[in-house]
Amino acid sequence: MMIRVKMIANYRDALPAGHKHGVIELDVPDGATVFDAVSRFDIPLNDESVIVLNGLTVDLNTPLQEGDTVTAFSAIAGG
Amino acid sequence: MYGWHLKILRVNLTTRKVTTEDVDPKIARDYLGGRGWAIHYMYKEMDPAVDPLSPENMLIFATGPLTATPAPTGNRYMVVTKSPLTGALAHSNSGGEFPTWMKRTGFDLFIFEGKASEPVYVLVNEDQIEVRSAAHVWGKDTHETTDILKGETSAEARVACIGPAGENLALMAAIMNDKHRAAARSGVGAVMGSKNLKAVVAMGNKNPPLHDPEAMRSISVETSKNVGADVKKGSNMRIYGTSYVPQVTNTLGILPTRNFLQGTFEHVHNVDGDALKNQYLIRHTPCYRCPLSCGRLTEVPDGPYKGKGEGPEYETISSLGTGCGVSNLAALVKANYLCNEYGMDTITTGMTIAVAMEMYEKGYISEDVVGMPLKFGDHDAMIEMIKLMAYNKGFGKDLAQGSYRLAEKYGHPELAVTTRKQEFPGYDPRGSQGMGLLYATSNKGASHMEGDVAYEEVFGVPVKENPLTTEGKPELVKHFEDSFALMDSSGVCVFVGIRYMFNKDRMILPKILSEMMNLATGAGYTSEEAMQAADRVYTLERMFLIKAGSGPEWDVLPYRMLNEPLPDGPAKGRVVELDKMLPEFYEKRGWDEKGYPTQKKLMELGLPLN
Repeated sequence: MMIRVKMIANYRDALPAGHKHGVIELDVPDGATVFDAVSRFDIPLNDESVIVLNGLTVDLNTPLQEGDTVTAFSAIAGG
Repeated sequence: MYGWHLKILRVNLTTRKVTTEDVDPKIARDYLGGRGWAIHYMYKEMDPAVDPLSPENMLIFATGPLTATPAPTGNRYMVVTKSPLTGALAHSNSGGEFPTWMKRTGFDLFIFEGKASEPVYVLVNEDQIEVRSAAHVWGKDTHETTDILKGETSAEARVACIGPAGENLALMAAIMNDKHRAAARSGVGAVMGSKNLKAVVAMGNKNPPLHDPEAMRSISVETSKNVGADVKKGSNMRIYGTSYVPQVTNTLGILPTRNFLQGTFEHVHNVDGDALKNQYLIRHTPCYRCPLSCGRLTEVPDGPYKGKGEGPEYETISSLGTGCGVSNLAALVKANYLCNEYGMDTITTGMTIAVAMEMYEKGYISEDVVGMPLKFGDHDAMIEMIKLMAYNKGFGKDLAQGSYRLAEKYGHPELAVTTRKQEFPGYDPRGSQGMGLLYATSNKGASHMEGDVAYEEVFGVPVKENPLTTEGKPELVKHFEDSFALMDSSGVCVFVGIRYMFNKDRMILPKILSEMMNLATGAGYTSEEAMQAADRVYTLERMFLIKAGSGPEWDVLPYRMLNEPLPDGPAKGRVVELDKMLPEFYEKRGWDEKGYPTQKKLMELGLPLN
């Protein structure tokens, strides 16, 4: 199934060339989880990263569905 | 004494009498410094019911015990006064270079009272303190004023001043220092303007002596190393400053868009950190001795929006940009430059124009009233409105009163997104519930800088909290409010404070800050004592609000946040569930069920009982 992975700011460096505004389409197998999607990329998979599914706070073991968007960014104070 | 000078400079602008006085070491310790000392003196000496723009209001510039020390980011000052925008307390924070230069005059606090009979500026060069005519700079913008006053005093001096907006008493007027840095919020610049005080020029060589300079240097070196490691890995704050944030808040559906009618902006890519970096960034610019360096010098090299300056920061992008539906980055950058030059808070400026745009589109104000069409996304009209506000002309007279008074005047107060009449910053609380509680109860009206729980709800620092839930938020908000009161009083920047001192043990911040204050002052704070002092500061501010007529009856949220669910994004369908959080928050603060500090709490903190 097809999902989208979005990387914000410096995490865009982890994406292959050709992404548009930090977003790529990804083909993942049925049953794949949020963790499966983001672990394909070279970003910290610990408290240093914020990872959300369709903008919502979820467990990384949450199964993905067709059309989902997984977004990751570095945990750092801003604004 | 170390760390603190324990010296106050008091300038009565009416009589031009200048006095200096010592600070009682017990008061110094109990109220920490900076913001804490300022509220102590204001509460003791001033009737909280005074008209904020009258000579009776006090205007206090306040440094902390860590200002002008090697403590990481120990380079902040607060401007504390009664706000003409909110009628509550104003305490606006700024960095740059001025705060350290101010502390090096040998004074911790400057207190300005009364009103000069004609425009003046105050020069403080250690023992040389002069009230000088400012007739030649009155009417000039903040950049020209800074250049002229440095030219006639010393290149080594640093300047904090107002621009035309402050002179004209616009309620969103800021006090700018070092040209580009702002003590921005709550109309502090209008208070300065009401006193005919154009500028304060500071210089000197009186660095505060430190209790343990060697250990202080070690902490500084260690923190700088940690920051350096972050920067090497690619810190967003170094690369983008705060301009990377629109993508984060847009993802969470809490990016203020078109006066909070929406929580996502379809053109966010036009106004985000990458667009700014790729098109207009020249280089990053640090505050004095800051290892993080989140400021950025930018330039629009040509065209109608040509200009050069610092920013925009996230809060400017979310107000003058997405808040107004504006996607033209060059125009947004120009609008930011104009606000800095005229001396205006970009949040209140942008969100006031945003409410005017909504009222125009709904037919509540006509083109005749505004003088031109004012639709969302019209960046040229937005720029024109900024000019009218700064110079108090035409429709700008209404805009200069802020969005609450504007919307009320034209019969639609429900459109103003404010608490205590101050505009919301860049986090829609319908998708960030803790921020909703913070805005509703903040001592200075809606402000993220009063206790920014977005760090946890949005940015995952130090842990990611679910922004859509209310559970645990009252305690979290109290902890952040006290932590920010501690940082604001000590003289460090919240960015380094939050990012590099917090960890999963939430008491690590007071632990490290109290250690640093001990190295500076020798006061021997425990972590618990430091947090209790912060609680004392916060609670005394609340007492000021109650006496000023801005008490618990103002702990409310605007109509839109409680009655109009977000129409889009991850928080679609949600409003702020304030009722679920407010009673527990009062309890956590030691206030009664109506929101008044209890006698028991006041006694525990050693505060006056009435």
